[in-house]
Amino acid sequence: MILFGFEITGYQIAFLALAGVTLGSALMVVLMPNILRAALFLGLTLFGTAGLYVLMNAPFLAAVQVMIYVGAITTMIILAIFLSSRVMSVGFSQAIYNPVLAFGAAGVMFLFLFVTIANSIWVKRIAAEGPTNSNVGVHAVAAALLQPYVFPFELASLVLLAVLVGAIVIAKEDQPGEP
Amino acid sequence: MSHSAYGIPITWFLTLGAMLFCIGLFGMMVRRSAIGMLLSVELMLNAANINFIAFGSYLKLPTIAGQIFAIFVITLAAAEAAVGLAIVINIYRLEQHVDVDKMTAMKL
Repeated sequence: MILFGFEITGYQIAFLALAGVTLGSALMVVLMPNILRAALFLGLTLFGTAGLYVLMNAPFLAAVQVMIYVGAITTMIILAIFLSSRVMSVGFSQAIYNPVLAFGAAGVMFLFLFVTIANSIWVKRIAAEGPTNSNVGVHAVAAALLQPYVFPFELASLVLLAVLVGAIVIAKEDQPGEP
Repeated sequence: MSHSAYGIPITWFLTLGAMLFCIGLFGMMVRRSAIGMLLSVELMLNAANINFIAFGSYLKLPTIAGQIFAIFVITLAAAEAAVGLAIVINIYRLEQHVDVDKMTAMKL
């Protein structure tokens, strides 16, 4: 397909659209004065990232992203916002502190990262035009999780159990007479 | 240059990840509420995930490690969000705000 004199593939159009959604809503997340709207835009950012995972041949990760990030973490953050601030009160919206300084620091960081990406030598080990790894479906993920990565997998379940107990203990209201 | 159906060089994904990371960094420095900072941390973790998956699927040797790493990052991000929000709720109950500049409960 020819667009504005450049030859452009459908995948590139999909990438640019998803990148636009992701970056635009990410900017909204950090700039929105209303924290509830920022949390909703975080959901949109994570959704755009899930689309990018599909573009990178990782459909299982995209499903995980939508289920865990969009479905669970965003919901949990919104619930925490409702529990920790009165809707539409002064504490609900929040000012932006030192935007110029922060923009400068983040910009320097981005320049550093961009120069590193542009000048790196590992490009030779990488396919130039698109994802090459085709054996990355659900079966491959399952086989990898239960064979070479089984120890970290079990460790992750232990971490989740500890987190479950810890979150309940921390969030529980202190009763008088309890340590 | 051979033309595949994709036509997306890996640098596009890496640059996008870097941009997302820097937006998260910006949010981390700009926000003063604990929940706003948690949102920024989620952005930065996502940027890291994009890099993991990009390398995992563009490397010429067949590997699944990028996706496995991303799964562990997502798991630990969920854990971090759960504990972080529990702490936020507890602090809100103690002090009626979530402003990190005004948190003094652990100061002597």
